[in-house]
Amino acid sequence: MSELFPRKQVMSFVFSLILTGVALTVYFLDMSFAIGMTILLITAFVQASVQLAVFMHAGETKDKGSIYLNIYYAFAIAIVTVLGTLLIMIWDM
Amino acid sequence: MKTDHSLPLEYSTEQNQLNILGFWIFIGAEIMLFATLFATYFTLANRTGTGPAGSEIFEITPVLIETFLLLTSSFTIGLAVHAMRIGKKNAMLTFFVITLLLGLGFLGVEIYEFTHYVHIGAGLQTSAFTAVLLTTLGTHGAHVTLGLFWGLFIILQVKKRGLTPGTANKAFIFSLYWHFLDIVWIFIFSFVYLKGMM
Repeated sequence: MSELFPRKQVMSFVFSLILTGVALTVYFLDMSFAIGMTILLITAFVQASVQLAVFMHAGETKDKGSIYLNIYYAFAIAIVTVLGTLLIMIWDM
Repeated sequence: MKTDHSLPLEYSTEQNQLNILGFWIFIGAEIMLFATLFATYFTLANRTGTGPAGSEIFEITPVLIETFLLLTSSFTIGLAVHAMRIGKKNAMLTFFVITLLLGLGFLGVEIYEFTHYVHIGAGLQTSAFTAVLLTTLGTHGAHVTLGLFWGLFIILQVKKRGLTPGTANKAFIFSLYWHFLDIVWIFIFSFVYLKGMM
């Protein structure tokens, strides 16, 4: 039975739950917008990385270079899209 | 077809490896799709017009239930792939069923949430904010709905054909899709709900 629950995945699940708990502090505790956003950015991106590396097995095969390059590219476009939009529409620069 | 037995079944043929890489590229495109939705959301989040603001309509309890259900389902689909790799077909199918039930639970809570929003006067046409909110959540929810049917068909095919390079490949690609949906939810949870309620 225990062979069905590999330690690495169980620990990653527990870690994800802890990160969710940390993210929740921005709701339950009183803090400034800047600190809250910093916490959320860190917990969200760390949790996404755990999913990619552990659960999606991104780095296990010989095409890992292509897979990571593709993901970095997608995230780069995503960040440019979001930050570029914020820059023009919200921050008025 | 050449089969390489040193690799897990889902990677064992050239075609399988290309299928998986191809799906990663699709996920890349999906990341960009959700990026445009998030960009639009951040732009319109304060354009509430005469409608309610996020802080007035978001409730922590359903959001926490949704987060927990989806996070756990992402864990169980990971266990399903692990069981598949050690050749335990029945354990794999059990984890698949648990995953889909958790996904169904998530969808149930989200549907409740949507009817609640419409009921309290935050429909698709109320304001720019509610429009982009429901579009972003709805796009994710539609992906989960599609995933439920996809996963169901994979269960049926594995039951019928057993674990072959073909079915293992499909099951693994489904697991990538499901994990990706959890990643999108992490960002919705953080930057739509928690940011809105901060």
